[in-house]
Amino acid sequence: MIKVENITKSYGKTQAVKGISFSIPTGECYGLLGPNGAGKSTTINMLSMLFQPDSGQITINGMDIRTSTADIKRILGVVPQEIALYEKFTAWDNLLFWGGIYGVSGKELHTKAEELLKWVGLFDRRKDAVKDYSGGMKRRVNMACSLLHSPKVLLLDEPTVGVDPQSRNLIFELIHQLNKDGMTIIYTTHYMEEAEKLCRRVGIIDSGLIIAQGTLDELKLQSKVNDMIVIDCAHTPDEKFLAGKLGIDVSVHENTATILSSDSKKDLSKIVNTCTEAGYEINRIDIQKANLESVFLKMTGKQLRD
Amino acid sequence: MFQILRKELKALVKDRRAMMLGLLMPIILISVFSLAFGGMGKESDNKTDLLVSDEDNSTTSKNVLQGLDSVKALAITRMPSDSAIDFVKKGKFSAVLILHKGFSDSVKNLRHLPWELKYDAAQSIQMQMMMQYIASSLFGNVGKTMTERMVMKRTQSQFAGMDSMTQLIAMAQVKKSMESNSGAIDDMQKNVMKIQSSPVEKQQDNAGIVQAVAGTAVMMLMFSLTAMGGRLLEEKENGTLKRLLCSPLTTGGILSGKMMASISFAVIQLLIMFSFSSTVFGLVLVPKLAAVLLLIIATAFACSSFGMFLAAIVKSRDQLQSLSTLAILSMSVIGGSMVPSFLMPSWMQSVGHVSINYWSIQGFFDIFQRQLPITDPVFLEKVGVLILFGLVLSTAAFRLFRKNVMSMA
Repeated sequence: MIKVENITKSYGKTQAVKGISFSIPTGECYGLLGPNGAGKSTTINMLSMLFQPDSGQITINGMDIRTSTADIKRILGVVPQEIALYEKFTAWDNLLFWGGIYGVSGKELHTKAEELLKWVGLFDRRKDAVKDYSGGMKRRVNMACSLLHSPKVLLLDEPTVGVDPQSRNLIFELIHQLNKDGMTIIYTTHYMEEAEKLCRRVGIIDSGLIIAQGTLDELKLQSKVNDMIVIDCAHTPDEKFLAGKLGIDVSVHENTATILSSDSKKDLSKIVNTCTEAGYEINRIDIQKANLESVFLKMTGKQLRD
Repeated sequence: MFQILRKELKALVKDRRAMMLGLLMPIILISVFSLAFGGMGKESDNKTDLLVSDEDNSTTSKNVLQGLDSVKALAITRMPSDSAIDFVKKGKFSAVLILHKGFSDSVKNLRHLPWELKYDAAQSIQMQMMMQYIASSLFGNVGKTMTERMVMKRTQSQFAGMDSMTQLIAMAQVKKSMESNSGAIDDMQKNVMKIQSSPVEKQQDNAGIVQAVAGTAVMMLMFSLTAMGGRLLEEKENGTLKRLLCSPLTTGGILSGKMMASISFAVIQLLIMFSFSSTVFGLVLVPKLAAVLLLIIATAFACSSFGMFLAAIVKSRDQLQSLSTLAILSMSVIGGSMVPSFLMPSWMQSVGHVSINYWSIQGFFDIFQRQLPITDPVFLEKVGVLILFGLVLSTAAFRLFRKNVMSMA
């Protein structure tokens, strides 16, 4: 359905995307995971056809984005990172406008707008100006505006930034529902748990490259990380000291050391002894199963933070 | 407090273009206003074109016209009366002074002088100033000759039969008496030497009202339309432009839609302004509706393109605000929106031709003052220039927007 082959994109002398490739079959929800500035938005912008890649090829539904721009745009829904709505308009008027832009009109447009507003739980507030909505409500309308033309492919660029947990869960449910109905979805985020919850496969992007991709299990296998040991100390531990002594990947953020282990049972006593010898006062030890965060840390040496 | 001060100054310095405009704007505006109005009253800088037609072609008439040549405030061009009247009708020249046949005889016989000043109806305010220059030259020249003839005539009638020496003494007495009793000379100037002045076309509207309505309407329209052009920058800032660019709409389609909205708004705004002026100030619209509508559409197109162009060359709404204030006020000053162009130095009046305001205001003068029909080439020239302004500015704006589309997204 979506095939991205070795695409690159530069802004002046800075190469934002350095040769990314992935393919997504119809009906899959694929996550693009990476920190800010990794190249996620540039990739999404090329998929949205805001601009062309400098090299490489993107095909959607068998159509090349260089030659079939108009046809692809009709089957593509884009939920931008920004709340791209006319705030002085009501939610209803926003939906009618954005539907109209995609050629949906008349009764069909009104029916679809009504369905979508009910679906995102805002039909009763449809006559209120968007500026009076909460952040979460705006995000839901933002999403609904991209669905009026019933796209086959939906690109979601960090759609939950700045929303409350209740709205975030509701948005997850909506995305699940769309995916269940057969929609192909690309979801970019720098929230690990979102990618884990929503996406069957994830591509980890860093410094303009996809450094690993696959299902969570596949990524765990690739990273050889099974456990993540999180140690809260009274003071900031020395990252280089711990990594040197333990011989495994350690990341320190403030007073917390995150240690990636292939076998926590084997490594735990050595970790505690090393910390005690170094005089670190341990407040808490937490052992977690490997997740996307630990995989990301292992592969990039960086932590994803809100 | 100092941290806030430092942060604010840093933010200001970061937007260098806005800062430069903010600092340069008052300097540029002071310069434009000074150049436009600083020359007021300097005759050498502010020559008024005057056509003259000498139908009498006598020594007396030639002397009169030579006298006018020496008036520094006037630039005299000699031309047959038919062509001259046609030029004035079309607003190419301000006025024509015609010395009809029999002028010389009338001077000799102290009869009412057959001369008349026909002027451009759109420049009736300017005529009041021009008449002062003409009158002081003509009365000084012809008046002197006629006074001498009047003295001689009175002397001959009152002291007939006396010897020539006595008559000469008597003439000196009569002249002295007439000069001390200025009523006789005043009476001659008011009646015998009176110049008949009238517009070449019958005026229906007050030139001051046309100037005020057209000048203000075009200037205010530019402010409104620049703000509309700025909505594209607002869309860039709030992300809706990016969303539009992701839709099946083309860049050209988005920009054309914006332009059409701007033109529609401009047409409505101008229609409201002129309807108001018609109702409140008595501007006669109905018989000229087609021409008014054509000029409104051309003005709306030119001003909309101007607004889009300004929005295309800036990077933020702050920059747009500074630049638009500078550009609009400058164009309004040199184009005659704030005060009539004829009050400015002649070189500044020529510079005014680069202003949309000038062509639009002159177009409205063509309609309301010069009474030109919609088909008149002189009126259509103004419409054409406005459309040309629109085409050039909108093409440039479209190109700049297209070029910047990637950075917008």
